[in-house]
Amino acid sequence: MEHGHDNEPAGSPHHENCTDPYLRCAFNGAAQTALGVSGSALLAHSPQGCEYLVNNAFASQECDYMETVTLCTKLCVDEIVHGGEEMLARTIWEARDLPISVLFVISACGPEIVGDDIGAVCETLQPEVKFRLVPIQSPGFRGSQYDGIDIALDTILKRLVKKTSEKISDSVCLVAPHANANPTWTADLVWVKQALSRIGIQVVATLTHRTPLSEIENAASAETSLLLSHDAGQHAAEYLRAAHGVEPICRGIPLPIGMTNTQRWLTALGERFDAQKNVEEMIGDGERMVTATCRRKWPMARFLYRTPAAIVADATIGIPLVRFVTEEMEMTPELVALYTANRPVRDLLEGELNDLGLSPKVVYGTDVYKTRMSLLEVKPRVIFGSTIERHTSEGLPVAYVVEVVRMMRQFRMINREYFGYTGILNLFECVQNEWIMGWRSREKRYEAKW
Amino acid sequence: MENDTIVFHGTLQQLLEKVEFGEMIPKLQASHAPMCKFFTAYYVISGIRHVVPLVHGPTGCPLYMSDFVRTRECCEIRGVPLEPTACTALDESHVIYGGEGKLLEAVKEAYAKYHPDLIVILSCCCSGIIGDDVESIAREAEKLVGCRVLALRSEGFGGDFRSGYEDAFKLIMELMEPPTTTMKRTINILGARWGPSPTEFNWDMDELERLLALIGIQINAIIAGGCTVEQIRHAREVELNASWCYDWGQKLGDLMQERFGIPYSRTGQPYGPEATKEWLLGVATPLGMEQEALAVIEKEMNEVEPDVAYLREALSGKTAIIEISEFPGPIRALSLARMTSEFGAHPVVINVHPYTIKERMPSIRFLLETGVNPEIILTKGLFRLGSFRSSKETEEELEAIVREYDNPIFFGNSGRFPPCPVVNLTLMNPVFQPQYGFRGIRNIAALVRQALENKDLPRSRLFRGMLYGTRTR
Repeated sequence: MEHGHDNEPAGSPHHENCTDPYLRCAFNGAAQTALGVSGSALLAHSPQGCEYLVNNAFASQECDYMETVTLCTKLCVDEIVHGGEEMLARTIWEARDLPISVLFVISACGPEIVGDDIGAVCETLQPEVKFRLVPIQSPGFRGSQYDGIDIALDTILKRLVKKTSEKISDSVCLVAPHANANPTWTADLVWVKQALSRIGIQVVATLTHRTPLSEIENAASAETSLLLSHDAGQHAAEYLRAAHGVEPICRGIPLPIGMTNTQRWLTALGERFDAQKNVEEMIGDGERMVTATCRRKWPMARFLYRTPAAIVADATIGIPLVRFVTEEMEMTPELVALYTANRPVRDLLEGELNDLGLSPKVVYGTDVYKTRMSLLEVKPRVIFGSTIERHTSEGLPVAYVVEVVRMMRQFRMINREYFGYTGILNLFECVQNEWIMGWRSREKRYEAKW
Repeated sequence: MENDTIVFHGTLQQLLEKVEFGEMIPKLQASHAPMCKFFTAYYVISGIRHVVPLVHGPTGCPLYMSDFVRTRECCEIRGVPLEPTACTALDESHVIYGGEGKLLEAVKEAYAKYHPDLIVILSCCCSGIIGDDVESIAREAEKLVGCRVLALRSEGFGGDFRSGYEDAFKLIMELMEPPTTTMKRTINILGARWGPSPTEFNWDMDELERLLALIGIQINAIIAGGCTVEQIRHAREVELNASWCYDWGQKLGDLMQERFGIPYSRTGQPYGPEATKEWLLGVATPLGMEQEALAVIEKEMNEVEPDVAYLREALSGKTAIIEISEFPGPIRALSLARMTSEFGAHPVVINVHPYTIKERMPSIRFLLETGVNPEIILTKGLFRLGSFRSSKETEEELEAIVREYDNPIFFGNSGRFPPCPVVNLTLMNPVFQPQYGFRGIRNIAALVRQALENKDLPRSRLFRGMLYGTRTR
């Protein structure tokens, strides 16, 4: 088992000099967070290449290009040598007529190193534009994409949330739903909102996905905060508690993937909001629906009983999968490799492993090389991971690579959740399709006559 | 043509002159952002087999490229194994105190982990600004590992996207060893990029390889489209260099000619019969294989004669409105202009970005010398802030322009909805590939036939609404 430093940035492989990372940089995470604010635009104060990281964040937040504009100052040598503040001011001025409520200005490595003061530029230009200017200092070297999410959430909360002493009863602020490696994570968010609505809990703000500025401004009126990631957002939840008295809930429980995790998570909500009866009904309905569907469709996952498995993912998906793979699908996790390495992630995973009586090889802050070496060592027969593991495991006796995160081989037009009861069926479907592909004949024994 | 949305209407020569004098370059900072120097350098370097591109910077720069180029393009589509994209993962402390020590260790670690044939250190914005001496580290590190270690200054801010390609090709020359022999009837193909497989569009390269093989010409290396370090070492032993696209091969071809005396075949992209003949003869003639090439050309021409006849009949007297918006480089648009002209159409190239003209100045000049000087129209929408606004406006402008011409036919992609037949030249549909060479003629004839015979079929309201929103006029 590998150990990182407790207070190192999430997923940052400090102890290594040469890494082949899974996680993007802080600039990308900040862009992903800012683009979750509707009615906004994003200005990357960066060379033109960083615009591609913004495009990636744009896709991840499922922005509509009719509504959301992204801009870039396209810094060149001149701006690095002489400073790029003037260029930034000019670009903000060019964007002055955009019909938006906020313009997020995110600085990349170059301008941060040469000392461009994006805060001062925004302050100077603020009286001349109709929208709010929010500078976010999140250069790539500040850490991983999860650090960038935390940096951007911190800036957004400190600059945009209004102080209030009034709380909306039975309400919640959702934190960091986008720090989730399910490629269609927005479906997880939809499931959470539906579940909360059924329990009678009002969502005051979502930080961030299609979130209007007014929601963010009112975030402090939420009674509770609900973190939807194990990888990022903890600082934001903590800030909301300390600065605005917003109580974090469902802490220390894996997110609701699989029957038991969903039951635990919903039960915790029911207890907090005094809605146990309602929640019991939801659990009963959900479990009956899953069982009945399985009885009609017959998932082939049942044939993989105690097959050695590996889980290579972010903590948000990876940790809940441990129980789901062990309990519902009856496989045996023999390798758990997570992109992140922070203390809460370790505590949560180790708690789950102890509870389940499992002792797999665990790799925190994994990179592609470590994953390959671990796969060589453990030799699992099934991998729950990404397209990268499909290729990393070449030459190994891996029968199935179930692409549940960062998939490239599959395309999803309809977003599918992993959370909750339909999420269980979605994950069974992933296994089933991989199982079918594994059985498909590679060649015919003879040619047909016609 | 009088229209207040048109900002330039003239010939390619006239546009080039304006660009040379600094006119027509957009003032809006947000308009048109191609890749940075780092990305393009990475493209080239990753096209060598068993190389470790060691990115000296934070994780964002390499990861975008490794996801996009390595995993998706190379592993998923091109059937090549997963190879590493290593990174020093610089953080704040390295930005303050320097990252040279970490880099030296990283090279050693990369060698121990991956056993590569070559390590190329790529600097990015961070390491470039803090002044890490990547070249010295590369020299030092090379003494400690069992393979060549090269360094490339590829900071994103350090040049336009073209400079990344060119500097990477130039660096590759350092691997080329003095020739010990001459490989007869053998050439290198220069200017390939995008991972360890030939060029962006395999089909086009496959067609060139097929035709060369028929003539009896061997290829030593496709640089850098899946070539090995060993092939690069022997690159000076060939008789000639050629390029799959004049523009991309031009810099390396010129340099190899200048430094090593290896002739470089200067020809444009082989679109249509004439350009294909020129390309093949441009390679075969210097090798003394003109007769063999002519025999192959004659045979191939006979096979595609019905397609050529159809294209002449279909395009004669038409106005070919050409727009390549998918990969907005001007070279392919100009090659198509030449081809449509050969089939009797009048080509009008619309909205090639002046920025891309600026970046491809030597190649554009070459094309002008060969007589390619089509009519060009640039519209206001091209310079508009925001991709949706730009895209919507240029669509409306295109529709207006098409109405001004007699008998128009549009060569572009299906994302446009002009009131005329649309020849869908997208490179995203493998069904009608390649577009190069004689097989390309056949495919282009099929595309033109589809466009003309089905011109009255309804277009998709769904896709139009997706791309341009609800129609406002």
